Amino acid sequence: MRLWEMIKMALESIWANRLRSALTMLGIIIGVMSVILVVTIGQGGQVRILNEMESFGTNLFAVYIGSVDDGNYEKYRFTLEDCRAIRESIDSIKAVVPIAYGYTAVEGPHKKESAYVYGTDGDYDEVRNLKLAEGRFFNSIDNAVGRRVMVINQRLAEDMFGSSREAVGQKLKVRQMSVLICGVTEAGSGMFGPESPMVYMPIKLHFRLFNSEDNINELHGTAVSKDLVEDTAKKVIRVLELRHQAKDSEVYQYVTMAQQMEAADKVLAIITMIIGAIAGISLLVGGIGIMNIMMVSVTERTREIGIRMAMGARREDIMKQFLIESVVLSLAGGSIGMILGISISMIICMAMKVPLVISLGTVLLAVLFSIAVGVFFGLYPANRAAKQDPIEALRYE
Amino acid sequence: MIKVEQLSKTYDTGIVRVEALIKVDLEVTKGEFMAIMGPSGSGKSTLMNILGCLDRSTSGDYYLEGIPISTLDENELAKIRNQKIGFVFQTFNLLPRVDALRNVEVPMFYSGVHPGERRKRAWEALEKVGLAAHARHRPNELSGGQRQRVAIARALVNDPSILLADEPTGNLDTRSGLEILSIIQDLNRQGATIVLVTHELEISRHAQRVVHFRDGRLVKSEMIDTPMQAAETLKAMKQQMEDTQ
Repeated sequence: MRLWEMIKMALESIWANRLRSALTMLGIIIGVMSVILVVTIGQGGQVRILNEMESFGTNLFAVYIGSVDDGNYEKYRFTLEDCRAIRESIDSIKAVVPIAYGYTAVEGPHKKESAYVYGTDGDYDEVRNLKLAEGRFFNSIDNAVGRRVMVINQRLAEDMFGSSREAVGQKLKVRQMSVLICGVTEAGSGMFGPESPMVYMPIKLHFRLFNSEDNINELHGTAVSKDLVEDTAKKVIRVLELRHQAKDSEVYQYVTMAQQMEAADKVLAIITMIIGAIAGISLLVGGIGIMNIMMVSVTERTREIGIRMAMGARREDIMKQFLIESVVLSLAGGSIGMILGISISMIICMAMKVPLVISLGTVLLAVLFSIAVGVFFGLYPANRAAKQDPIEALRYE
Repeated sequence: MIKVEQLSKTYDTGIVRVEALIKVDLEVTKGEFMAIMGPSGSGKSTLMNILGCLDRSTSGDYYLEGIPISTLDENELAKIRNQKIGFVFQTFNLLPRVDALRNVEVPMFYSGVHPGERRKRAWEALEKVGLAAHARHRPNELSGGQRQRVAIARALVNDPSILLADEPTGNLDTRSGLEILSIIQDLNRQGATIVLVTHELEISRHAQRVVHFRDGRLVKSEMIDTPMQAAETLKAMKQQMEDTQ
């Protein structure tokens, strides 16, 4: 007997119990759909986050002070001289900027709000890949003379003046000092939540406002090429250790964007996998549904089994008939689930502005898994069907 | 054609032991129409199941066209059922979900006949039993007599060596029963070998030979010199009805 005919027979039998078959398939449909949804959206999100991080510059690295065993923080503190020395002594460095963090109230003509205030120098926009929507970033001259200028982000500009355009040329009071806004940065993607109000100002101005001479929290640098990032960061640390006579190599530490991207990538992949696996459990439940309905079907069709055996069906023919029926059922459910999963992923990815990543592997896995579910959960009922005694089966009412 | 020697069948459930058949010797020749008579529990159904290769004997030999059936494995038995035996049951045993034509196709399905050929032969078989007009009807759209005719068409479609009919008129009214008997007798005249199981004396009188069973033993074998002709009885019935009108 040909396989195609058995499939046709299975389809007829499934069609004869339309409602029941549809309800049975629902389990598999939901299972496959949710697995594809989770994995697709997860992978899309992963790509999106990595792109986002990449936009900060893949050549980026940050140097910070790690553990100071001797408690002599003053000795190891970064200085502006360090930055100059690094710039001059390391060839592979493209730019390095000091960063001083602060958080304080900023007062506009109409309102007052708290903002993060970064003190840095004129290369900061280049190092962090910062784009300006309006105006300009402050430059090294502004920095050298400690001019009272600053760049704010779009959020703050809109809060204070209604738009970025309006903000440039205006002044805001930061810690009682009026500072001129020379530029406004472009809005970010909003991927990591709403942006906080931000202020970037010359580091010397920052020192003055926060009364903290040479209080530099981190150094951010970029290497001339991606391959040289680690090497450059290590050289920077070497220079710092020499300049500050740090005997303990734990004092200065660095982290690169590449490392962070890798870590984020790993975490996201694990999250996707875990949620995917949880979604996969619904596939298993769907499989049990198939098994249940196949058991009912075998009992209901006991007489049919007897008739077919009397007409010359071998046990393996009966077995195949029921097995194919359960596989057709699960495969049909899997296919519908796949189509639904992909369609809904497309909609969600579009809405979330996440790139649509449909990997062939995921789709193939979902289909193969639903076939496997059909075989696995169909095996027992089919075997039960095949083991019927023809005489008993013929007598079954 | 059929040769049964010292055939016994014992059911042992562990608690009770039932001897359903005890040392039965029986021979059915080609082209013969034989009836097996007996009350329920006489062992006639057991014999029928064994002859139909649905069941195995506990001891003894069974030869069908010289094939030693007792030595065959399950798959070989399935093949014998498919190729050499045509079943007609009391309860028709048609597949409820498919039409008459598809029901008749079932045995050919398992013998691997090509779909086109299968359809053609199914039509021919239905024509033979006068049911071609109802080929597209499902069993529940047919009368009992019509269903039994579908079953006969199905039994014949693989051109079996022997037709086994187990109380084929048991669920039918007299008239439909006679029609079925008449078809069976026609088939026999055309050369079919038939074994019919019944507990009704009058039905058994349509065969050429009747073997009587009681308590698992073949107790009597009688030749019927002039079997009743179902077609004639039917004709007489019709006449009678017309007369009374």
